[in-house]
Amino acid sequence: MNRGQLLVRMLLKATWVRKDRSLTALLSITVVATMTTVALSVYADVGTKLNREFRRFGANVIVTAREGALDSRQLSAIRTTIGNRGEVLPVAYAIAEGPSGAPVVVGGADLQALRELNSWWSLTPPIAQHTSQADSSLSEALLGARAAEILSPQGQNFGIRFGDKNLQLHPASVLRSGSEDDSRIYIGREQFTALTGTAPNIAQVRIEGSPAEIENQIQKLSAALPQAEIKPVLQITATQAAILQRTRSVVLTASAVVVVLIILCMVATLTGSVLERRKDFAVMKALGASNTSVNLLFAGEAMLISIVGALFGFVAGSAIAWWIGSANFGSGIPPRPELLFPVVFGSIILALIASSAPLKVLREIQPAGILRGE
Amino acid sequence: MFARLLFESFRRQIRRKAFAVLAITLGMSITTAMVSVATDIGDKLNQELRTGSANLVITPLADSLDVNIGGVDLKPANYGASIQESDLVKIKSIFFRHNILGYAPFLSGSKVFRIGDRSITTNLIGTYFSQPVQNGAENFVTGVRTVNGFWKVEGSWPADNSADALAGISLAYKAGIHIGDKLQTDGTELHITGILSTGGTEDEAVVAPLHVTQQALNRPNAVGRVVISALTKPEDAFARQNPASMSPAAHERWSCSPYANSIADSISKVLPPNVRVEQIRQVEQNQGNILSRISGLMMLLTIASLLASALAVSAVMAATIIERRQEVGLMKSLGAGNITVVSLFLTEAGILAIGGGILGFIAGVVLAHRIGQSVFGSSITVPPVVLAIVLFGALVTTFAGSTGAIRKAMRFDPAVVLRGDA
Repeated sequence: MNRGQLLVRMLLKATWVRKDRSLTALLSITVVATMTTVALSVYADVGTKLNREFRRFGANVIVTAREGALDSRQLSAIRTTIGNRGEVLPVAYAIAEGPSGAPVVVGGADLQALRELNSWWSLTPPIAQHTSQADSSLSEALLGARAAEILSPQGQNFGIRFGDKNLQLHPASVLRSGSEDDSRIYIGREQFTALTGTAPNIAQVRIEGSPAEIENQIQKLSAALPQAEIKPVLQITATQAAILQRTRSVVLTASAVVVVLIILCMVATLTGSVLERRKDFAVMKALGASNTSVNLLFAGEAMLISIVGALFGFVAGSAIAWWIGSANFGSGIPPRPELLFPVVFGSIILALIASSAPLKVLREIQPAGILRGE
Repeated sequence: MFARLLFESFRRQIRRKAFAVLAITLGMSITTAMVSVATDIGDKLNQELRTGSANLVITPLADSLDVNIGGVDLKPANYGASIQESDLVKIKSIFFRHNILGYAPFLSGSKVFRIGDRSITTNLIGTYFSQPVQNGAENFVTGVRTVNGFWKVEGSWPADNSADALAGISLAYKAGIHIGDKLQTDGTELHITGILSTGGTEDEAVVAPLHVTQQALNRPNAVGRVVISALTKPEDAFARQNPASMSPAAHERWSCSPYANSIADSISKVLPPNVRVEQIRQVEQNQGNILSRISGLMMLLTIASLLASALAVSAVMAATIIERRQEVGLMKSLGAGNITVVSLFLTEAGILAIGGGILGFIAGVVLAHRIGQSVFGSSITVPPVVLAIVLFGALVTTFAGSTGAIRKAMRFDPAVVLRGDA
């Protein structure tokens, strides 16, 4: 048996014979690698996840034609610019007269898309007392809560007038929003065009992505549509930026604290357990082992354990991160293979530091002293 | 005898004990810091968001509808009903007054302004910028600078007791208004001190102090709309129930929880009956959703780190006991019973746990404070109950780590252990 074989054999024996000792070391390293993987995966993905949540805020950019209406060329330019990462809803507004002759703002839009874009609206069926049967000859309307109280307090059908044209409306639902939409009536695009003869001059646009990506898209829109005014809804974009920044930094700081502390904790465990092996150390030295071969042996053992621990930890950490994502955001946080190398490498370095530092202390002591129990 | 064994064990193995205490301290400071951050982050973010945008709105009950497209109010100014400005201070007297961070009244109407020799017709909006208000003995400052943090001003904000005003950015662009210009309307001269961008209707308007606007529109003490920024609890299933159909006990609980609807309800009780208080659903509903996602994320991260620190602490305890097999063997060969050995080790573990737990709690409080300062600029308070949780957690995890190892150590024949074969 040559030296190399002996070293390997001692290494494997040391790990295997004292299984419980190796197991606690393995557990410590696995825990560190797991937490590191969880923290890094969550931190890397939290922005994307939160940006997706911001879809619910609805339109974050308003495009308004400076003159006249937005023509189909302009609308398709908006659609091409934002691609599949968002939505465009053209809306037209006009002032019509209610049954009493009082003015009311009427909006024309694809009602289904409008409801989806404004997902925070509370929609209730109108009070069904007098509800006349939904008549296919009537146009369905979405009524703001205040408009409903004044124009259709009993949920009955009613008529509006624009110029010399009349339109009979059937209230399909009542919306509550806490904004000016509460005083408006929304009807379908075709009915609106038939009534007023005007086309949409406003497009409510929802752009998905990070604040920087949204800003970038706004720039592109401005370049593509010189004839229109493009304005971000600052209330939403500012909220998004603030929330993202705070959340990322709190996740980062908290994770950093956890990872650093747990690393220290592991180093304490490993250092403590190497110090307990002073007798092994003394026996080896007494049998004539050089400092180098003792170091090599302890370091090899630490490396072996840390590689296995780091691999376990990476798998466990990726699984936990996935679970956190799916439990909280409804879609898992994907594993990041690029984290594997730093996690394994970091674990090896840490294990080496933790196991070699105490050897320096031991080297000061005479083997005979340790064996005598001093 | 027992006490002496215990004492000597600590005295003679000071280094070994120090490592164990260090590990427990670290584990418990993670627990303290993470639990504190996770429980406080919702409030912290909420506070932050509330200075960014208001979430409740008061509007007068009118028998006619608002007629407003693209920020241009098309209803004649004296047509609409209004809220009395003098009533607004009552908002701060409700049960939830500490949840009310601020409010801002708005009054708007169309006006013709003369600038040099040109004349423009646009909306004049009056509001509080940062108005001192007195409610009984309490003084506070409120206005758009408190509740609409997303308003950006290039130049300087006007003072509320002056005739200074802001020009909306779109208006300024179209009408060529610059900082320092003077706008004249019906004998009032407004001095433009800044250009305002809000992304909303104000971009097309002149925004002036409320009292100037009331005078210019000839509507003393009138306010058309008030937005309120209130700290609320995100809506849950209970909050969405109809308060009118609740049992008295449930209604009591509902009206004492700071849901947006219950705050709106208590505000409308102190105001005259001709107003309506509602949540701004786009802000309230969506931000509530985001906040609960973030709190949930922090909770899950906390659970993961608690498990990690529990495992780490258990590993430390197991490691220290594994190394003490020979002691177990010696004790047993000298005639000690299993119970004596176990109770000695567990008492040691308990002392280590409590020592490490207390140190860890202190370190965790410092850490939580630091995290709060660095992320939110205000410190995170650690509820005292966390100390109890930490001590309990420390005891459970050290015992859990110790018992397995002790049981294993006792299974061996003392003679074998002492020989060094096990």
